[in-house]
Amino acid sequence: MLKNYIKLAFKVMLRKKYFTFLTLVGISFTIMIITITAAFIDQIVGASDTEPNRGRTLVLKEVFLMKDDRGRPDEVSLPFLQRYITTLRTPERISIYRDGGYVSARNGVPRAHRLKYSDENFWSITNFKFLEGRPFDARQVKNASRVVVISEELKDYYFGEGNAAGKIIELFGIPFRVIGVVKSAPLLSDAGSDAWIPYTADPAPVPPPAEWPTIHGQYKAMLLARSGEDAEKVKAEIDARMRKIVPPNPQFTSVKANALTALQHFAKVRNSDPDPDFAQLFTALFACLFLFLLIPVISLINLNISRISERAAEIGVRKSFGASSSTLAGQFIVENIILTLTGGLIGVILAYLFSDALILMLNAFDPLFQISFGQFILSWRVVAFCIGCCCFFGFLSGVYPAYRMSKMHPVNALKGNNL
Amino acid sequence: MIKLTDVEKVYRTSTIETMALSKVNIVINKGEFVSIMGPSGCGKSTLLNIMGLLDEPSSGKIEIDNTLISGYADKRLAHMRNQKLGFIFQSYHLINDLSVVDNVEIPLLYRKGVSGSERRKKALEALEKVGLNSRTKHYPNQLSGGQRQRVAIARAIVGNPEIILADEPTGNLDSVMGEEIMNIMLQLNKTEGTTIVMVTHDENMANKTERVIRFFDGRQVN
Ligand SMILES: Nc1ncnc2c1ncn2[C@@H]1O[C@H](COP(=O)(O)OP(=O)(O)O)[C@@H](O)[C@H]1O
Ligand SMILES: [Mg+2]
Repeated sequence: MLKNYIKLAFKVMLRKKYFTFLTLVGISFTIMIITITAAFIDQIVGASDTEPNRGRTLVLKEVFLMKDDRGRPDEVSLPFLQRYITTLRTPERISIYRDGGYVSARNGVPRAHRLKYSDENFWSITNFKFLEGRPFDARQVKNASRVVVISEELKDYYFGEGNAAGKIIELFGIPFRVIGVVKSAPLLSDAGSDAWIPYTADPAPVPPPAEWPTIHGQYKAMLLARSGEDAEKVKAEIDARMRKIVPPNPQFTSVKANALTALQHFAKVRNSDPDPDFAQLFTALFACLFLFLLIPVISLINLNISRISERAAEIGVRKSFGASSSTLAGQFIVENIILTLTGGLIGVILAYLFSDALILMLNAFDPLFQISFGQFILSWRVVAFCIGCCCFFGFLSGVYPAYRMSKMHPVNALKGNNL
Repeated sequence: MIKLTDVEKVYRTSTIETMALSKVNIVINKGEFVSIMGPSGCGKSTLLNIMGLLDEPSSGKIEIDNTLISGYADKRLAHMRNQKLGFIFQSYHLINDLSVVDNVEIPLLYRKGVSGSERRKKALEALEKVGLNSRTKHYPNQLSGGQRQRVAIARAIVGNPEIILADEPTGNLDSVMGEEIMNIMLQLNKTEGTTIVMVTHDENMANKTERVIRFFDGRQVN
C-alpha cells in the first residue's frame, strides 16, 4: 500500500508542476538554512572523526576571580593549569594547549594560518588521521623540539603534491621540521588548526599579563573523562581544588574554574556567568526552528486546503470505489511527506552548494585567511536531523488538510462541493 | 440482490426541506438489468446513491445480498462498496492526474492482497473488454467522451462487482457513442450476469433493459 502511495505521490507531483514547484521552493529554501545552521552548530559541539570523544571531553578555558557570587572570566595561565589541573586524578587524560597564529609570505603575498601550541596528550584525546608521519611525543615536548604537524591544506600550500615529512617550514623566522600531516578537522572545531607545535617550543611566547600573572594567561586544558557520567566527578574534583586556592588579593573571595563539554560551552548564554544555564539557548534555538518552520508549514497548509475543492472529485471517486476515510487521510499525508521530503533533499544539496559559496565569499572578504572547502563538513547527524525536520514538517502540514479531505461526503465530493 | 424497504430521503437546509424520496420499495434481483426513469429532480440520483451506500436514507431499510446495512462504520461501508459495487457516472469522474490504466486500477488499490502486477493485468483485461487496449497510457483529457466513459466502465468492472450502478452513463454522449456504451453494458449483463441498475432519460435505452422503474417527485409511479 505504501509503495502505491509513494508512486501516486510522485505522479501527482509531476502532474501538478506549478503547485509542486511552489512548494518545493519554499521547503528547500527553509531546509537549506536549517541545514547550514545545524551544520555550524554541529561542527562546534558535535563529535567527529577527529574528535570522537567530545561527549566526555571537557575544556577548561576560563577562570573566575570571584567577589562573592560575581566574577569576571579571563583566560588561564600555563602555571595555573600545571599546578591545579594537570595534576587532577579523575580524568583519564589531560592536555594543555593554546591557540595562536602566524603569517607566512610566498611571492610577496601574505597568508595567515592558525597555529596551536600543545603537549603530546593532545594527540591521544583527539583522533586526527595522519596522512604522513606521526604526532610529537612526550620526549619532543620535554626537549622543546622544533617539530610541527601540519594540515593537508597547509601541506598543499607549502609543498604541493609531494611529501612533506622531514621538510622544513619557518615559523616566526625559526625553522621547524615537519613530522606529520593530518586530515583537516571540521572548520569550527576547537581542536582544528593549520599547524601544531610542542608548546615548549613556542618561538614567540606571550609575556604574562601584568595583573594576576600566576592565574591569567592564554592557555586552556582538555580533560578526557573516563566516561560521560564521570565528567561530573572531574568537575567535582576541580571544584574541590579551586576551593583550596587562596585568592591572590583579599578583594576576591574565591577562585572558580569551569570545565565544560563543547556542547555546554556553546549552550551557556553569557560568558561571564560562573554558573551557566545550559537549557536556555537550546530552548530558544528550538523555538526559532519551530517558528522558522511554521511559515512554510502554514503556507503549505493553505495551499493544500485550497486544493481540496480541486481534488474533490478524486476524493469522491476513491470513496466510491472503496477507500475509507482513514485510508484516504493516510494517502494524503504520505503524499505531503513525499513532497516535503523531496524539498528537503533539494534543500540539503543546496546547503552543500551554498556552503561552498559561503566559503568563497569569506575567502574573498578576507584574503589573508583562506578557508578550504573540505573543512565545511556536513555530518550524517545534520542530514538526518534535517530529514527528520522535513518529515515532521510534512506531517504537520498534511494532517489537517488530509483530515478535511477525508471527511468529505462522497456524494458532495462527486458534485464538487467542498462541504 | 438489492432490497429497499420504505426508504425515505429528506434534505434539510436551514431554510427548506426537500423530500427527495418518499416510501420507496424496490427489489432488484440478481442478474437483472433495470433502468430508472423520471424527470430531472425526481430523486433518481439520490436513489442510486443510497443503493450504492454513498448516502444514507433518512429512514427505511437497505439490504444487499440479504444483509441489512445499518449502522455500518465508514470502513465497513468502504469495504462493501469495494467488494460488491461498481459505479459509472454521467460525467465520467476520471482522475485527470492518472493515466487510463492507473484510473482503472483504483478499485483494486483498496483491496488487500492484490499485487501490482496482478492489478495491472486485471486493469488491462478490463480495458480490453471495453475495447480500449490501445489507449492505456493516455491521460483522460486526451480521450473523447465515449472513450472516457469506456474507461469508467472498465474501472467499474475491474474488481468483478456483482452490481453496477450507472447514473445517466450516456447522458453526456451523442447517440452513436451512447449506443456503444449501452451495448457494452448489455454484453456485460448477458455474459457475466452482472446486475445493473441504470438511470436514464432515454426511452430507447430504457426499452433495451428488462425492467423500467419510473419515478415522479420522489415516488415510484408504476
Ligand atoms: N445535497 C442536497 N441538498 C439538498 N437538496 C438536494 C441535495 N441533493 C439533491 N437534492 C434535491 O433532491 C431532489 C432529488 O435530486 P436528485 O436525486 O439529484 O434528482 P435526479 O437525479 O432525479 O435529477 C432534487 O429536488 C434536488 O434538488
Ligand atoms: Mg441525477
